Amino acid sequence: MEPKKLCLALYTGSVDKLTAAGIILSGAAANDMQVDIYVLLQAARAFRKDIGDDANKLNMAENPDLKKEFLESLKNLNVKTWVEFFREAKAITNVKIHVCGLAGKVWGGEKLDDFIDLADDICGIGAYIQSAEEADINLFI
Amino acid sequence: MTPEELQSLNASKIVDARGTACPGPLLEAKKAIGTINSGDTMEVLSADEGTKVDIPKWCTKQGHEYLGTLNESGYYRIFLKKK
Repeated sequence: MEPKKLCLALYTGSVDKLTAAGIILSGAAANDMQVDIYVLLQAARAFRKDIGDDANKLNMAENPDLKKEFLESLKNLNVKTWVEFFREAKAITNVKIHVCGLAGKVWGGEKLDDFIDLADDICGIGAYIQSAEEADINLFI
Repeated sequence: MTPEELQSLNASKIVDARGTACPGPLLEAKKAIGTINSGDTMEVLSADEGTKVDIPKWCTKQGHEYLGTLNESGYYRIFLKKK
C-alpha cells in the first residue's frame, strides 16, 4: 500500500510554532507517512546554521512575554527542541525538507550548505504546488 | 483482554516512556515495534494521559492488535500485539 502523504508549508520562524510542527511531524513519522516540508520565508531564517534551535535567536508567535516560561516548561517536560523533533522524524520515516530559494536569499542563504543539515534541497514554489496536489494532508504553519 | 489477563501477560518488550510527554511515548513505541517479531507482545509504560488514546488509534492504523490498558498509580501500562 502506498504511504499516505503529508505536505507541510512551513512559514513560521517562531519557536512555539516550530515546536508544534515538530510534534505533528512526530505523529506523521509514527504512522509511516511520507512527508514533504517546504521551508518558506520566516522558516528559512530558523533553518540557517547559526540559528537552528538556539531559542535565544527565535521569537514566540504568541504570548511572546511568556517565552522564558514556555521554554522552561518544555524542558521540564523533557520535550525535544524543534530541530530534534525534525531530526528524529527524518530518522523514522521519509521526510524531505525543501528550502524555498527566495526565502533562503532573503536571509542570506544561497546554497544548501548555508542551512542546517536537515535540509535536502533548495526548490521553487512549483515543487510545493505539485506536492500539495498529491498530498493526503496539507498543512500551513 | 481482561485486566487479569493483562496483569499476567509477560510482554516480549517493555518500553518505559514515563520520562517523556506526548509525542514521546508514541515515538518510543514506534521505534520499539521494529525490534520485535510479528505476533510478539509489547507493553508501553506512559505517564502521559494522551498516550492511552494515541496508542490504540495508532494500533488500528498500523494493523497491530491493541490488547488493553492497565491504570497504575501515576502511569498507564498499554499492551499490544505486533501484526
